[in-house]
Amino acid sequence: MNTNMQAVEWVWLDEVQSVTLPELARVCGISTADVDELVEYGALQPLQTGPSEADLRMFSADCVTRMRTASKLRLDFDLDLFAVALLLDHIQRIETLEQQVRSLQAQLPKRH
Amino acid sequence: MNYKDYYAALGVPRDADLDAIKKAYRKLAREHHPDMSKAPGAEARFKEVAEAYATLKDPEKRVAYDELGRHPAGEPFSPPPQWGRDHATNGSAFDEMDLEDLLAAMGRGRRDPRQGPMPRDGRDLETTIRISLEDAHRGRTVHLSLDDGGQERTLEVSVPPGVRDGQKLRLRGKGGKGQNGGTDGDIYLHITLAPHRIFRTDHQDLYFDLVLTPWEAALGTETEVPTLDGPVMLTVPPGTRSGRKLRLRGRGLANGRSAAGDLYAVVLIDVPATLTERERELFEALAKDSSFHPRTAPTGATS
Repeated sequence: MNTNMQAVEWVWLDEVQSVTLPELARVCGISTADVDELVEYGALQPLQTGPSEADLRMFSADCVTRMRTASKLRLDFDLDLFAVALLLDHIQRIETLEQQVRSLQAQLPKRH
Repeated sequence: MNYKDYYAALGVPRDADLDAIKKAYRKLAREHHPDMSKAPGAEARFKEVAEAYATLKDPEKRVAYDELGRHPAGEPFSPPPQWGRDHATNGSAFDEMDLEDLLAAMGRGRRDPRQGPMPRDGRDLETTIRISLEDAHRGRTVHLSLDDGGQERTLEVSVPPGVRDGQKLRLRGKGGKGQNGGTDGDIYLHITLAPHRIFRTDHQDLYFDLVLTPWEAALGTETEVPTLDGPVMLTVPPGTRSGRKLRLRGRGLANGRSAAGDLYAVVLIDVPATLTERERELFEALAKDSSFHPRTAPTGATS
């Protein structure tokens, strides 16, 4: 066993952080053209960052894990990009609903 | 490595068209996908059909493969060095195979040795850690055990105060090492909070049940309640109804970037299961003299 101890800094994947278009494409293993197409389908919205170059567009880091999940399903089942757009929408809805269930469970009394 | 019958792996005849191959692949992939099947060997079977499909769906690779097809399955053959290389940066089961490699394997061509070895990106690693609510509140150093391509590795990570349930974090460049100039992989960390004896969490807010007697609820009281930073006194106002939430501002989970969440005491009113003689007298007197009729009273907000 090779024990390699390193101190590491976190990068939060949430709505406060952002990723660039090339970075988002890289971590999801897809092309920037694919990301553009997903934006065209309305499955993904770039952050409003004013009139910047196309390549400098930024996205909320919140979408990274969702995008990775959808991109992996695309590869594993040979889906087309439009199916990925639909998947992204559904994954987001599931995440939102799961969060709502957790919130409601927290507010409900445990006893009785 | 032995010659693999890709047609058999997908269960299609050798003259199957692309549609039939795709259909057979998707059906098998769905059945054996590691996310969907927990059966032993599912992942290996999935990789097998993925490898078969990667070749048969590409017309050029398929033609090249068909030339190999006269070999009986199981006959030894020498695979190209890149045959099984894990190119997928997102951890997909697909292994990218170059036609060039495949042709090279059959003596049709050779990679130009001057090109040198192909750059290979490091694998991304995904893992989940479960931490206690107290650790999420105060932050702590955790040790991650990672299985990096069969090699075990420990990574020390300092979790900042204020991490939330379901939060995802990325540790850039700390995944598998890239080779021959390839990029190092990342680590994706999913955080879950272990259920707590007292508190339930909703984002940065905490909830717990505060059980009151009927007279405490009616008359109001001061009581000691737990928080993550130790007990505090809570004033329960007179006329506190069941289900009401009493808020202790800023007593929720710490947040690394903004104000802490709030703590809510969810009021429950309990009654004795059995009454002493004196208690019964008092309740009966109250029942007789009280003008409170909740079922006929106009309904209003309960909290």
